Amino acid sequence: MTLTFTPVIGIEVHIQLKTKSKVFCTCSADYANDPPNSHICPVCTGLPGSMPVLNKAVVHQGMLAGMALNCTVQPTTLFFRKSYYYPDLPKGFQTTQSDLPIAANGWLTIKDDVGSPKKIRINRLHLEEDVGKLHHSAPDGRLEGADASYVDYNRSGLPLAEIVSEPDVSSSREAVEYVTALRRRVRYSRASDVDLEKGMMRFDANVSMKCSDGRWGRKVEVKNMNSFRALERAIEYEIARQRKLMEDGGEVLQETRHWNDAKGVTTASRVKEFYRKFIVEPDLPPLVVTPEWIKEVRASLPEMPGEKAQRYVKDMGLSEVDAAVLTDSLDVAQYFEACVAAGANPQRAGNWVRTEVLRAMNERRTDADSLDARPDTLAELLRRVDGGKLSTTVAKSVFEAMMEGLSLEEAVKKSGAVEGGVGADAVGNLVQGILKANPDVVADIRSGKDTAKKVKFLQGLVMREIKGQARPDEVAAAIDAALALK
Amino acid sequence: MSICEMNVRQVAAGVREKKFSAEEVFDKCLERALLHENKVTALITMTADTGREQAARVDERVAKGEDPGPLAGVPVILKDNMCTHGIRTTAGSRILGRWIPPYSATVWKLLSSAGAVLFGKANMDEFAMGNTTGSSAFGPTSNPWDLSRVPGGSSGGSAAGVAAGYTPCALGSDTGGSIRQPASYCGVYGLKPTYGLVSRYGLIAYGSSLDQIGPFTRSIEDMALIMQIIARHDPKDSTSVAENVDFSLPLGDKDGSIGLKGKRIALVKEFQGFTLDPPIADAMKRMVLLMEEAGAEITEIGLPVVSRYAVACYYAIAASEAHTNLARFDGVRCGLEAASASGLKEMFEEVRSKGFGPEVKSRIIAGTCLTEPVRSEEYYVAATRVRTLIAAEFQKAFEGVDAILQPVTPSLPGKIGEVDEDVMKGYESDLYTLPVNMAGLPGLSFRVGYTSARLPVGLQLVGPRWSDKNLLDIGFELEKVLGVPQSAFDTAACNTTSFKGGN
Repeated sequence: MTLTFTPVIGIEVHIQLKTKSKVFCTCSADYANDPPNSHICPVCTGLPGSMPVLNKAVVHQGMLAGMALNCTVQPTTLFFRKSYYYPDLPKGFQTTQSDLPIAANGWLTIKDDVGSPKKIRINRLHLEEDVGKLHHSAPDGRLEGADASYVDYNRSGLPLAEIVSEPDVSSSREAVEYVTALRRRVRYSRASDVDLEKGMMRFDANVSMKCSDGRWGRKVEVKNMNSFRALERAIEYEIARQRKLMEDGGEVLQETRHWNDAKGVTTASRVKEFYRKFIVEPDLPPLVVTPEWIKEVRASLPEMPGEKAQRYVKDMGLSEVDAAVLTDSLDVAQYFEACVAAGANPQRAGNWVRTEVLRAMNERRTDADSLDARPDTLAELLRRVDGGKLSTTVAKSVFEAMMEGLSLEEAVKKSGAVEGGVGADAVGNLVQGILKANPDVVADIRSGKDTAKKVKFLQGLVMREIKGQARPDEVAAAIDAALALK
Repeated sequence: MSICEMNVRQVAAGVREKKFSAEEVFDKCLERALLHENKVTALITMTADTGREQAARVDERVAKGEDPGPLAGVPVILKDNMCTHGIRTTAGSRILGRWIPPYSATVWKLLSSAGAVLFGKANMDEFAMGNTTGSSAFGPTSNPWDLSRVPGGSSGGSAAGVAAGYTPCALGSDTGGSIRQPASYCGVYGLKPTYGLVSRYGLIAYGSSLDQIGPFTRSIEDMALIMQIIARHDPKDSTSVAENVDFSLPLGDKDGSIGLKGKRIALVKEFQGFTLDPPIADAMKRMVLLMEEAGAEITEIGLPVVSRYAVACYYAIAASEAHTNLARFDGVRCGLEAASASGLKEMFEEVRSKGFGPEVKSRIIAGTCLTEPVRSEEYYVAATRVRTLIAAEFQKAFEGVDAILQPVTPSLPGKIGEVDEDVMKGYESDLYTLPVNMAGLPGLSFRVGYTSARLPVGLQLVGPRWSDKNLLDIGFELEKVLGVPQSAFDTAACNTTSFKGGN
């Protein structure tokens, strides 16, 4: 009998909450390109005698992120000291809420491996502080071979939320889907920028295997994943490793393993994992959040992407795929909604936003909020298209010009289109006529004989007929479309 | 009267009224200290230059007609676990080496902005762990009243400095009696304020939920004045209370008679069977009579949970907090370094092995063991639970009572280097001071008199939370009878009542 194995996976996600200052002091949390140790004070370097003061903004952002993940806010919580030694940990302990968290009992819905909806339960979201960064003197920056190490405490004390899932994840694909959904919702809530490239989101995974013969493998904690891809690969590697061990009758050790992204393997932590020693943080009184505060935070939570997408499908008649694309990030969704609110047809606006607007954003590496062409102007442009005053192709070049900062009228003028002249429909009708008048050419094209040349010939006919009042690419597109229709 | 015999208000008034300058005060005090410091060793660092500069600035302000503050030119000693910007702060430990803090403790900021000048940093048991000042890496301090005896601890240097007349006041810290016990041994006033009343920001922590800074003085009114300045809400200390307690003068009964009418003073039933050194037992009896005569109602209360569990729970909590507070001393950011260590573990090991003394090491190990996951529930967590029972028991006891009268210690100060073999006596000794910290209560240690051998004898008043001012009111009434404590090297010292059974 062949054995089957079911992976049982829990994910821990660390996200950096978006605040002006650090979690327990007033040092700036934005140190991006500043020199090492330029954003430090006695508190975040743990100097003797210093004491933490909890930044209220961190509590606000923690609640917000928790709400975005369907968690319940806990009105009274505590901070603990979690003891271990490492030079990047200035006090010799991390101040963390641990298992008395600000938010608990949430969930996210993802699609499982056969496409059915699956709920991933979230045990908790707790607040804690980040540690400093080590820089080793070895040429590759690694510890091995370095004769000195330097500590930069700029990151020390940045506010983190650790989000711990229940072991409901069953594959690396589900894991990626879970963290993708989590990231989208947290970004929506504005509790964090969750910028992976800036290290604002980090992952650990607890992986164990259940075997069809009744055996349960022990839990292995895999640490040090900084991208979706790393999370996926680490879990895949760990599943394969544990499965092999169990197939061969071996035993999986309960241990902490580190993901080595360069080598694509997990390796057992050389240092025996420290005790998780906790005492109550005596320097911080219990954190009490009032019902009013909770209410205020909830009011600032925007509609979440899932709910938004459902509304687009139900109320606006968009396809699920389009709705998912439009709701992927809040700025795009808001751009789209503003466009519809300004009178644009939802379907046409949806098409435009998910193609033209997204392309413009990608080309300019910017978000929808900073685009020059504002949603109300796009709505006006689309109205003109609907009214037959502009062809789709012309409208696209008008939009492109608007992206360069031109007003709608200037952009129309620049594109050379003559409003009310030869509209998109007129071009279409003309093309139909030309095709009808040249059935042999059409037949040649369909049989694949000199296709490109013959199409050019038809274009020439149309352009002559239209007296240059349409753009060549628009005409080409219309011919392509007409041929494809037949 | 020499300047060194003056109290805080007399010095400040003299400087403000230009009877003498702040620099003159400082020099007189320095002269006094230089005369005795080789015998007493109250200070780890004498801040002669910084202090005189500060004094000169006070004088400048006086000359310009500006208000130099209520502590104008008053020299102050700080226990060396309070950070002072630019001035070495050691906590009595080698591990801090020559550490110079880049910031000042809130208490020092408050005192100096009130016109006080820094006289020195006082010797103390290493990281405030001890009750003799003998565990200091800088050697022991002597009791100014008998140089062969300990001054108590851990704030022994602060108490000795005030008792020796170096300065009219000092600050100490009290985690389990570290202000009250040395105050008693050195015959000065020592107040352990209600937890949260005085900012701990900049105090090198021992047991953070127990630590509290408080003053040593030779007058109750001075005590009130210092408290009026340092009992301030501090946004940098999250455990400091938002409200300020009013310590403004005058204290006590306005008509000048000894008025304790209506005050309900309690004795603790469970303590009555304990053995006290005869002068202390005598002082207790005498004080009960005196208070009754002054109109107080003497009652008895029971503290069964406190008597039975407080000491064990105290050590569990103090050690658990201490081992996390001391985890930051790893040679990376400040203090002792291990430049020759070959790796991380070696560096940590070398710094901590060389830097910490034996008492500190044993408490770190104890704290580490008590909080290990397998034992935590049974020791650390259990102790924190009992602690709430202790606080509740005190709260209930104080429903019909203004203050508890009790000893500070069962014995008079021992000889330096001598170890008390009587374990039970040690336990009973702790029982008079530790529970006060467990419940966050205020405790006033006051001098009652002297033995025939010129050793001070003190007692303690313990009140409910936030009753600090009331304790000073009672203390002020008692001072009218007991007189003000003297400094040990003044000629007029010890002409008050002596006690039977002298030491």
